Amino acid sequence: MTAIALEVTHIAKQFGGLVALRDVSFRVREGEVMGLIGPNGAGKSTLFEIVSGNLTPSSGRVAFFGRDCTGDPAHLRRRAGLCRTFQKVRLFESMTVAENIAVSARQCVKPGLDWRVEVDAILRRLRLEPQADRMPAEITLADRKKVEIGRAVAGFCRVLMLDESLSGLTHEEAEEMIGEILALNHDTGITVIVVEHVLSVLAAMVKRLVVLNNATVIADGTPNEIAHDPVVIAAYLGTKASVLR
Amino acid sequence: MTAGATPEGTTERQAPLRGSFLYGVVAVALAAGLPFLPFANDYIIAVAVRMLIFIALGQAWNIVAGIGGLLSLGHGVFLGLGCYAAGILFNEYAVPPWLGIWAGGVLSVAVALVMGAMTLRMRGVFFALATIAVSLALDQLARHYVDLTGGDNGLALRFLGNSLWFMQSRTPTPFLYAGLTFVIAYYWITQWVLRTRLGSEMKAVRDDEAAAAAAGVAVFRTKLLGLLLSAVMTSFAGTLYMQSYQAIDPETAFGLSQAIQLQLPALIGGLGTSWGPIIGGTIMILLSESTNWGSTKLGIAGVDILVYGLLLLAVVMYAPKGIMGLFDRRTRGAWRP
Ligand SMILES: Nc1ncnc2c1ncn2[C@@H]1O[C@H](COP(=O)(O)OP(=O)(O)O)[C@@H](O)[C@H]1O
Ligand SMILES: [Mg+2]
Repeated sequence: MTAIALEVTHIAKQFGGLVALRDVSFRVREGEVMGLIGPNGAGKSTLFEIVSGNLTPSSGRVAFFGRDCTGDPAHLRRRAGLCRTFQKVRLFESMTVAENIAVSARQCVKPGLDWRVEVDAILRRLRLEPQADRMPAEITLADRKKVEIGRAVAGFCRVLMLDESLSGLTHEEAEEMIGEILALNHDTGITVIVVEHVLSVLAAMVKRLVVLNNATVIADGTPNEIAHDPVVIAAYLGTKASVLR
Repeated sequence: MTAGATPEGTTERQAPLRGSFLYGVVAVALAAGLPFLPFANDYIIAVAVRMLIFIALGQAWNIVAGIGGLLSLGHGVFLGLGCYAAGILFNEYAVPPWLGIWAGGVLSVAVALVMGAMTLRMRGVFFALATIAVSLALDQLARHYVDLTGGDNGLALRFLGNSLWFMQSRTPTPFLYAGLTFVIAYYWITQWVLRTRLGSEMKAVRDDEAAAAAAGVAVFRTKLLGLLLSAVMTSFAGTLYMQSYQAIDPETAFGLSQAIQLQLPALIGGLGTSWGPIIGGTIMILLSESTNWGSTKLGIAGVDILVYGLLLLAVVMYAPKGIMGLFDRRTRGAWRP
């Protein structure tokens, strides 16, 4: 039996009068690649902010490998291996690609290991070596997203949360990115949670999908089940994007 | 495979430093040899001392504001504490400044701790406002406790003549070497900060706090450490200021124009760089001396502030990353629209 890597229970979040999340609960098993989808404004990014420790939930708990971390500050969760990227890429713009990755490598690498070796390994794995000494402003969006993933996993990572890492990319770039993410999961056993707002992108990538709509979970199952779920279809009908496209 | 991108990259990234070592040696030789040059006199040496002190103060501000991104608008607080602590202890209790300097340092750390604990968890503007508020408060305290501080007229050190023990001298030359020592030490500290984990944390926090936290950086702790380091450095340089000028008053310590003079060296030379405050401080003092000279000739006052304002405007418009930024490939790249 595999461990539960991440468990959120009865998470709620209000911004003043606006309900961003209402009673959200689910579990992610260790090593799983899970998709989290939902229309724009469903609350996906807010959930990431809460799980990563950037926002405190109005109520509910977050547990990381069985340990309640609801009150822990964001940097301690990251050092414990709970890692994330941002929907709008946030790199350290005054630092080179290698230096960006070095920040988290220096914070999170296990004692006795050399952070420089870790930076090299990440650059090599994500095929960012040619960009190592470039500034973030000089590289493509796809590479910026890769650097952010590199920074997210450098040093130590057990759960990786990706917020729309595929959006804004060309078809080829998205394919390559999916390949990198799956390879990361396959080679290192990192648990991955991928947020997207359209299902089609994730259908081939994940075995399990959780659907968030109107601040709450409306479905949880395989991509095939989700695509034919009447509740999900109804939820997406009201929006511009269809579930499948 | 082992010779990956980073080791090579690291040397490439630090390449400008190799040339800067040579410039450093030349600059130090020039400053140290100044008293032996044929045209040297006390006035010229005093200008050089002023230059070195303001470079050191600029280096200290550069740590918190340039590397750490915390806009301290009232850094005169720590300059003033370094001046008044050493001055009062000496005048009242004959404590030598060798000890007084530590008292100033401890006081500055205490004030920075309170200020930081209260504001560094909030948006940066609150910290900036707090530095101004504390400046105003200390200004009032210094004016109020006349017996200790000399009030509005300021505090003048009892002059004992040449004395190493009491850091006093009839000529400015000893302060030239003291100032040079500070600048070299502070350059070295800046380099050290930039290279260590603390520097990488400070720059990360400066660039993006949420991203820094997501990279495992303890944001609040990093900001506080940068502030404490800068406060102590400013205060130490403040004691040197006190010994060299033999006097301090509330306006000179906590006033607006002083606060600006603490920021200009790094702003002109290049925020967050180790050479920026050195180049910027040199330009600032040369300019200020020539305006002083010109305005006395012409009989008008307050020209220096106007010139500082124009200089700052020129920097913001033509070299937003300071003079060092003009030579840096990365900032040129990063600032491409
Ligand atoms: N910091 C905030 N303050 C106020 N409202 C917010 C904030 N962040 C998100 N929201 C609102 O919460 C809802 C969910 O947003 P978000 O989590 O970004 O959705 P998603 O990522 O699924 O598109 C939206 O209505 C959004 O406007
Ligand atoms: Mg979102």
